[in-house]
Amino acid sequence: MLNEVYLISSLPALSYGKTPPISLEEFRGMAKNELSSRSFKVLDQVSIRAVDSKVRKSKVKSVFNMQLALLEDISEIRKSRTENRKAIPGHLPGSLLEVNPLDREMQIMQWQWEKLDAIATGKSFTLAEVIVYKLKLQLLFRMNSFSIKRGEAVLDSVVNPDLKKED
Amino acid sequence: MATMKIKYTKTERARQKKILKISERMLPLFEAMEKSLMATILSISEKIEEIRLAIERNRRAVKPWLAVMGDEWVDISQFISVNRTITRPVDVAGIRVQQFERVDFNEIPVNEETPLWVDDALVHMREQLQLLAEIKSLEKQINLLEEELLDVRARVKLFENRRIPNAKTAIRKIGQKLQDDERLTIATAKVVKTSAVKR
Repeated sequence: MLNEVYLISSLPALSYGKTPPISLEEFRGMAKNELSSRSFKVLDQVSIRAVDSKVRKSKVKSVFNMQLALLEDISEIRKSRTENRKAIPGHLPGSLLEVNPLDREMQIMQWQWEKLDAIATGKSFTLAEVIVYKLKLQLLFRMNSFSIKRGEAVLDSVVNPDLKKED
Repeated sequence: MATMKIKYTKTERARQKKILKISERMLPLFEAMEKSLMATILSISEKIEEIRLAIERNRRAVKPWLAVMGDEWVDISQFISVNRTITRPVDVAGIRVQQFERVDFNEIPVNEETPLWVDDALVHMREQLQLLAEIKSLEKQINLLEEELLDVRARVKLFENRRIPNAKTAIRKIGQKLQDDERLTIATAKVVKTSAVKR
């Protein structure tokens, strides 16, 4: 418990939509120094990107549930497209169906951020808060990778691979 | 231009007349072919321009959400690439060319963890790749047609500037020469006859 207190106190605050104040490697290093090996193993298994079934058994079942809810809605949206009908997401806000893919992705991340806030509420200075911090940090890094210049390069690498070779 | 060697015989005159007749019949055909090739090349160029505009329109439509393609979680090139362009042979202005049919893609289906934007990006990329492949195919057609056009133009010039004028000149010269020969023969015959009468 004391280790978590020390770790959380020494981490910079995260704000939605802002540049990540710390790298994932730095965070991992700090966590490794402060957490017990058991807690660190749990932290290492959790990622905002994929659902890890091992997480379910841990104390952060709510993270798993959040990810599962997201996947359910994404699956529903995909299914509605193939069936040519309006999607009915059960968890995500319905407004994301009306916006472009970038805004939709941003709304999904905002939804995840808010869910993570809710998960961490009342769990101050616990492993759950450290896990939430990691997931939020991952979200910020992802958000930060959305750039027109990068997007343009990615699009060109697929659509105009010859141009890439010429460069 | 090298001077033309002419055989001043009736056979040669007949041969030159035949050449002139064929050339005058062929010239309009080649001229029509030239026009047809030029019109076809122009219409293909216009089609290429239309496709370029469509590509630009698609690009503009994607611009508001282009940034999401920079997503560090996804390597979209793994999901789609061109396997080959499928074409079929057709005759355009009498020339056999390959007409674009469709693009065969190498595609990996998205899984449940793939972000939603990937689906939209793949639709856009598929369309752009199809359009670009169609442009490439049309450009190849233009190259073939332009080669043929050069050939046809060379033929038209050959008929207009060489074959027809040469045949006309040859016919005229042979005609004059044959007429002169005929006059000379008659004059000689008259002189011989007059000398014989005097004796």
